[in-house]
Amino acid sequence: MTSSLARKLEELVGRGKVFSSDSELLCYSYDATPLVSHRPEAVVRVTSEQDIAAVLELAAQEGLPVTPRGSGTGLSGGSVPVKGGIVLLTTAMNRIIEIDADDLSVTVEPGVITADLHAAVEELGLFYPPDPGSMKISTIGGNVAENAGGLRGLKYGITGDYLLSLDLFLIDGSKVHYGTKCVKDVAGYNLTKFLAGSEGTIGFFSKIVLKLIPKPRTKKTFLALYDDILDAARTVSALIARRIIPSTLELMDSVTINCVEDHVHIGLPRDVAALLLIETDGHPEVVKEEAAGIEAACTASRVRTLRIAKDAKESEELFTARRNALTSLARVKPTTILEDVTVPRPRIPEMMETIREAAAKFSLRIGTFGHAGDGNLHPTCLTDERDRDEIHRVEQAYDMIFQRAISLGGTISGEHGTGITKSKYLPQLVGPKAIEVMKRIKAAFDPEGRLNPGKIFPEPME
Amino acid sequence: MATSLNADEIAGALATLDIHDYGDVLQCMRCGSCLPHCPTYRTDGIETQSPRGRVAMIKAVIDRRLQASEEFVEHMYHCLDCRNCQTVCPAGVKVGELVLEARHRIEEHTPQPLLKRFMLGSAIRDQKRLSRYLTPLRAYQLTGLQKVVRRSHILKWISSDLEFMEALLPTLPSRPLAETIPDVIPAVGKEKGRIGFFLGCAMNLVFAEVSRDTIAVLTRSGYTVVVPKGQQCCGTPNIAEGERKVYREMAEHNVALFEDRDVDAIVCDCAACGMELKAYRETLAPVHRVAHRAEAFSAKIRDVSEFLVAALGPEITFGTIAEKVCFHDPCHLRHGQKLVTPQRELLRRIPGVVFSDIPDEGQCCGSAGIYNITHRGRAMRILEAKVEAIDKTAADRVVTSNPGCFLQLDYARKHWNREWSLSHISQLLRSSLERGETMQ
Repeated sequence: MTSSLARKLEELVGRGKVFSSDSELLCYSYDATPLVSHRPEAVVRVTSEQDIAAVLELAAQEGLPVTPRGSGTGLSGGSVPVKGGIVLLTTAMNRIIEIDADDLSVTVEPGVITADLHAAVEELGLFYPPDPGSMKISTIGGNVAENAGGLRGLKYGITGDYLLSLDLFLIDGSKVHYGTKCVKDVAGYNLTKFLAGSEGTIGFFSKIVLKLIPKPRTKKTFLALYDDILDAARTVSALIARRIIPSTLELMDSVTINCVEDHVHIGLPRDVAALLLIETDGHPEVVKEEAAGIEAACTASRVRTLRIAKDAKESEELFTARRNALTSLARVKPTTILEDVTVPRPRIPEMMETIREAAAKFSLRIGTFGHAGDGNLHPTCLTDERDRDEIHRVEQAYDMIFQRAISLGGTISGEHGTGITKSKYLPQLVGPKAIEVMKRIKAAFDPEGRLNPGKIFPEPME
Repeated sequence: MATSLNADEIAGALATLDIHDYGDVLQCMRCGSCLPHCPTYRTDGIETQSPRGRVAMIKAVIDRRLQASEEFVEHMYHCLDCRNCQTVCPAGVKVGELVLEARHRIEEHTPQPLLKRFMLGSAIRDQKRLSRYLTPLRAYQLTGLQKVVRRSHILKWISSDLEFMEALLPTLPSRPLAETIPDVIPAVGKEKGRIGFFLGCAMNLVFAEVSRDTIAVLTRSGYTVVVPKGQQCCGTPNIAEGERKVYREMAEHNVALFEDRDVDAIVCDCAACGMELKAYRETLAPVHRVAHRAEAFSAKIRDVSEFLVAALGPEITFGTIAEKVCFHDPCHLRHGQKLVTPQRELLRRIPGVVFSDIPDEGQCCGSAGIYNITHRGRAMRILEAKVEAIDKTAADRVVTSNPGCFLQLDYARKHWNREWSLSHISQLLRSSLERGETMQ
């Protein structure tokens, strides 16, 4: 059963690249975002820039929406084709074009898997730090579109900080090139940086150049357990006061710790209120000095137990709890809804308090873990999509959590993007004037609003 | 595969998945963690060929958002049942098992072709009968006809599938193992205990010599081995094809057969059989009269490596085998039985063995029962990737412990002219133990 649209697409790009059966459309109706899905009319897996241009030109003639998609691991609905139309898959454009070891950069196609890029550059003693949770699956194109973060964000920054240059297709099928390999490049508006986090609404990437740095020589890992979550928060402040920026500083609350213990039995005490996973990396001398500082900061903040990894293997073991956080939470109930509110680091205790209040007020089970080092928290609701009443309470709880994050000077999304699910909170965060400016920018690139429609901007009430 | 479909009945049947299974369907977060590990997603690169996609399709059929069409049925049969997704799923969704449930419900409501009914209902049930069906093949090999056929590529003129199947065909033993070994084989030296041995169909009929090695290693490790006559197929082919009635009869028969013998454990040297026998506790749970006994039976099942890693005590001397070795994990061992370390520990105990892991985190070889015949193109691409990964280890020898994987890898070795040799783990262990004994 091939639709006329699919036939036209096949004529342009060839057979085997176009998918339009019922099952295929169903399987491209969602990403990793709970509760949102919509079927496209056709899916095209492009393999070249010619394919991209041809599909975009056809979409322009037919007036169809186009939604870019990588591996579909997004958590804000960024690749869900909510207005139908064509889904444009980047996954077959997955070549690492060049690793420039002399100038510390890498040129890739958008479909390269993040972890594959890590492996390729680390083999040469180089380092691409952004490490989003889905890095084994996610594509670089998706990472740039969502400006993805990860565990190493606080010390090394996020995807956008490594973006040097982009080849981009505009919605009409024309191609633009922004940026150079130069770290210093101030010619004209910096559209390259603007595109990081544009959520696939501005253009379709075909080539991406990223900055690399030398691989840190060594690292040391700590696991700190606390009787009071405030002591864990105090440790974060104590570290900053000592001018230490760890490469990883992760927090887990008691709900999460107990879920981890239920499922992986790694011997964490059940009565612990919070844990921090801390890692420092770099030159051996620096690591040694910072490790002493981390130990002192934890002790001063009334840590109950502090485990220090002796070698790489033990360091891996200490990461077990954190790696299993989402996994364990996800096994408790059928539906797992996770958000990514972010607040200035000193406000973490207040944010945690509000999350706890919201859970109590709306009778929900919320486990929180996240990147304490950069204030990016993942309050995770354990629920059941069949229970309409509970889902409604989940919405109310997140309303409360988002309001609080905004009032604490934080943001509604640290790393997942606004997408569909958080668009209703955006005007509150940035104000009506900023929304208007953003809409004008969007219109300059995509006057008909056909590229990844339904994202970022709240839908007008009908 | 289905001949004519009653989409509505199938949707209804899928909707009767019990709360646990349906919970599993809902539990999928669609996070995509399964994608990089799924062999069919790795070859095809599209969502319909992924575990996440398969769950979405099943859920959509249940919710009547997708028709249980021919296309849906085909997708359910694209899965290799390698269970790699079950190893990596953060939410614990048993996608492989869900797909088998779907197949079962499809088959129940679809008229089955005669040949399939005969194979699953009658042929595999009795190993003696199955052995008789192989007589023409034995004659084909004994008379030298095989050599002529292979040299002339005559089968290619008929069908490339047929030539492929012929190429897979190993040299068959003149008699199945069950007919040539006694019912009880005593321990060598002081008896540590009595164990049962489950003789899988492929091992009995094709790899008789390998199972003879397994039994030799077991008796050398101090155990008396009991091989009850009249064992029936473990039922893997039936489960894979969605057939449950004959499956349950065979399973019940096997449970009863070993019950009468006083054994501490039941060892199996075929990973697929091992996984299925361990699953009797779940698959027979709804059959009231046998549920408890199936539980006891499954609790005794041990894969050969799982058993030997403890049974081969410090008194055993391993002889030197100076080779670079890698282990191809059968999916039904690594992902189906969650056994990763015993086989490696055993190999590392052999002096001279330099062990290295195949760097693909337990990818399937594409054999998957009869998948390499039913879905040959994709199976070959999966095999090609496997061979590439094996090449990275620069191993002299590839070791495995499942007959299907053995046949598939042996085909690859010849087809792509690889230098490495291929062994079942029992073969390597036996030769190491024998060398160890002559050293003493």
